[in-house]
Amino acid sequence: MHRAPRLDISAVLINTAALVLVLSYAVPYIYLLMTALKPAADVQQIPPSFFPAVLSLENFREVLQSSTLPRAFVSSLTVAVLTTALSLLVAVPAAYVATQYRRRITTLFLLFALVTRMVPSVSLGVPLFQLLKSIGLLDTIPGLVLAHTSAAAPLALLLMSAFFEGVPKELEEAARMDGCTRLQAFRKIILPVMTGGIAVTALFTFITSWNEFLYALLLTSEATKTAPIVIAEYNSVYGLAWGAMTAAAVLYSLPVIIVTLALQKQIVGGLTFGAVKG
Amino acid sequence: MKKLLGASALALICIAASAKAETINVLVEGGGEMLQKAVAQKFTAETGIEVKFTVVPYQGVFDKFSAEIASGSSAFDVVTIDVVWNAKFANHVEDLSTLFTDAVRKDLPPVLLADAKVGGKMIGMPTWANAEIVFYRKDLFDKPGEKEAFQAKYGYPLAPPKTWQQWRDMAKFFTRDTDGDGKVDFWGTDTIGTFSEEWMAHVLQAGSPGVILDHDGKVIIDNEAHKKALEFYIAPHCADHSVPENVNEIGWGEAQNLFYQGKTAMMKFWAHAYKMTPADSKVSGKVGVAPMLAGDAGIAAVPGPWYNVVPSTSQHKDAAKKFIAFAIANNALGIEAPLGLAATNSAYSSYASKPGYEHFTPLLETLGAPATQGRPMNEKYQEIVDEAVLPAVQEALTCKADVGEVLKEAKETIEGILN
Amino acid sequence: MSGEDRFVLCMLAPAALILGLLVAYPVGLLIFDSFFKVDTITPQIREWVGLQNYVDALTSKRVAESALRTVQYSIFALFFEFAFGFCAALLFSALAGGARWHRTIFALPLMVPPIVAGLLWRFLLVGNIGILNYGLARLGLISDPNAIAWLSNEDIVIYSVSFADIWLTTSFVALVSYAGLMNVPKDLLEAARIDGANAFKRFWHVTLPLMRPVIAVIVIVRGVDAAKTFDLIWIQTQGGPRHASEVFSMNIYQRMVRFGDLGEASASGTLFLIVMMLLAAAAYWKIWRPAHA
Repeated sequence: MHRAPRLDISAVLINTAALVLVLSYAVPYIYLLMTALKPAADVQQIPPSFFPAVLSLENFREVLQSSTLPRAFVSSLTVAVLTTALSLLVAVPAAYVATQYRRRITTLFLLFALVTRMVPSVSLGVPLFQLLKSIGLLDTIPGLVLAHTSAAAPLALLLMSAFFEGVPKELEEAARMDGCTRLQAFRKIILPVMTGGIAVTALFTFITSWNEFLYALLLTSEATKTAPIVIAEYNSVYGLAWGAMTAAAVLYSLPVIIVTLALQKQIVGGLTFGAVKG
Repeated sequence: MKKLLGASALALICIAASAKAETINVLVEGGGEMLQKAVAQKFTAETGIEVKFTVVPYQGVFDKFSAEIASGSSAFDVVTIDVVWNAKFANHVEDLSTLFTDAVRKDLPPVLLADAKVGGKMIGMPTWANAEIVFYRKDLFDKPGEKEAFQAKYGYPLAPPKTWQQWRDMAKFFTRDTDGDGKVDFWGTDTIGTFSEEWMAHVLQAGSPGVILDHDGKVIIDNEAHKKALEFYIAPHCADHSVPENVNEIGWGEAQNLFYQGKTAMMKFWAHAYKMTPADSKVSGKVGVAPMLAGDAGIAAVPGPWYNVVPSTSQHKDAAKKFIAFAIANNALGIEAPLGLAATNSAYSSYASKPGYEHFTPLLETLGAPATQGRPMNEKYQEIVDEAVLPAVQEALTCKADVGEVLKEAKETIEGILN
Repeated sequence: MSGEDRFVLCMLAPAALILGLLVAYPVGLLIFDSFFKVDTITPQIREWVGLQNYVDALTSKRVAESALRTVQYSIFALFFEFAFGFCAALLFSALAGGARWHRTIFALPLMVPPIVAGLLWRFLLVGNIGILNYGLARLGLISDPNAIAWLSNEDIVIYSVSFADIWLTTSFVALVSYAGLMNVPKDLLEAARIDGANAFKRFWHVTLPLMRPVIAVIVIVRGVDAAKTFDLIWIQTQGGPRHASEVFSMNIYQRMVRFGDLGEASASGTLFLIVMMLLAAAAYWKIWRPAHA
């Protein structure tokens, strides 16, 4: 964008608007953090206060002393990473051909893939349970990865299809004219241009798995329990340990913040027709 | 001959190996693990059978157990379930009648025994029991200034409430504006609008032969006792305005929080809350407990017990039954856990005089009261509550409905569900 | 089979395999169950009832009401998520320096598990401990913290529970739109600018049409997700007061899990699936307007 002198005011306006928007969305999260830093007895004060009257780490201490949470973290991380890898592996090639080589079969495939996302997960939970039980994958990492992939891969498929749609056919044609096979064109010319789209897709696939609750509840027992289950346990029939829960949630969000920052680097403008002429 | 010897030796080794390595899997909710951990450790020490707990959030017990039953085989040997699910799972668990010896029977409050019996089978062994009792602010009730003012206004001494009328009077008395800004910020008590169990206790106090259904399964939700109880239940909100207004948002957690934050003078709440009052809360050290209120039929409550059941598809039924028998015999071990609950009279009375366990005496009195009864053991109980009972209570709490009409409508809905 | 066809099939195969295995059985079972009267925990005991479950679901007042509420909820949530998210993406793309920190902080809601987010918003909105009303009262927007009963007023509760959803998913819209915006070829924008188009015209005639697929995907994904919402609302109100915040998926959960009525719940689930597919197809044809190969 040009920077004519008149636009400086609009730059200020844009910056302010962006800041206001971002901060207003951040406020509830900050409230979460503030709650975690309050002494446990103050977390549901009447009348409520935003900031802690006295800073306290007792919630974090309680959470870190828990024997099940660290292991659950590791479970969650493993499952999320594997789900993301598997989902991308199956979805990216499929999305590519669905858009660049459009046929009836690819359109039908897209619609078919959407089906799992279009049913409330509670309806699919028990059949998935029986399916995984019959192949012996209950309470295993691969089992949960498969379940999560069934939810995340369609999302990845849809997202990547939308991004691939913007890639002009000329790009691939030029590569093939230069002697590449279709596969080589895909890997060496198209994919590098799609890093932004892949990064966004990877991010949301990761988050889909990271926060998933229902399948983790039904399909895991002690061995592979993921963190969302452990966090939910703080809300027991006998009382809600809200301070501990917020502390656990804050800790649980840290890996995702790191992953997000890392992936955000990839989401920059990339595609130019210059690449075709190149 | 050699082959036979070899096979027998192999068999013996296998038996020995499996006997040593026998493990039972117990599915519990968080609080349940706390209460049974000590028992499990002692059990393993004495019998060599390992006990592994699988802990899930409350609804997870129901969801997971249902999924396991539906799939035809269970990974769990013992499941600790909430009494509301007894009827639902009755056909899929073992009959534990043999564990109910005379000694065990004598030691359990009658209501817990009654709730264990579904369709002629004893489907589970009580693990711990809970009931609502009265909590009140000792410091306020003992204050001379308050005592005088109350006596002057109502004509009888201020003491932990025993009857419905006393409850309403004291709630009205304590509702006040403490910081002079013209708005009430301290209430006598709270009214819960998201659950109906507390109303059910009043139904029993009013003398109804059962809650919602009678012993023959007939719908009695519109009888006189239910009506009186509902009128009493909504009175603090609709007539006296002695409770926070947002009753639809008040559930167990909110009620508990209001009391702990020093915003209410009394509450009816589950007994375990006494021991779990945070040490640094505004009311710690100021909490008094008393048995549940009495209506025309005396004290009554609806207990909230949990039962240990053995799924019929368990692979280790004998070990599971051994564990359950051991657990009930050593019921007192659970009391040391933060939740501090038990099921047997002996367990409770052994701790009743210890400091910090003042709530056991009122709890025992409430659990043992003749009018105390469990919720109806009907497979469709959950549906009845969700579709008819709770909406009826919430409609009554709008203060604009005719209580009799509301209950009549509920009756029709329930009859529709049952037929 | 041509080389091209073989290529297409090979690229589709892994996805088809995995999804076929994991999707076909559960969804197939769902549709199969919808024709029976069967209890959730005893699936082997079943009785064929044909379309009776569908008739029951379509004539049930509860189901109809929860469907209506789902529509109210979804449209409300989707509208605001889209408005805020798309604006955010535009703002971010106009900022110098890539706005990496803006985008990351804006994504913070995504990193909170729905259970915690639901409770967080419950504690923001509920009376007595809800800090939102105290804030509004301080700002003078309402007279007194008890003026608005977000979660216990039956008329507005269905909208109040969507705040958490909007908060949680606006960043999805923002980040995906942002990636879509970044994918618009700069040459095209340059060419349009040289031709004299101002910023608005460039946006309307160049950017927006190229963003069609991304917008379609956002609408489909978020629209369906909003219609499917369960945990978030359940944590806040359990569907109350008096079912005023009960959405369709909650109705299915109640029927299937708590009442054990697998047949009717499966019929509702299948109906939901059909409606969602139709809406998605409509969004695909109208918004995406796929180019022909």
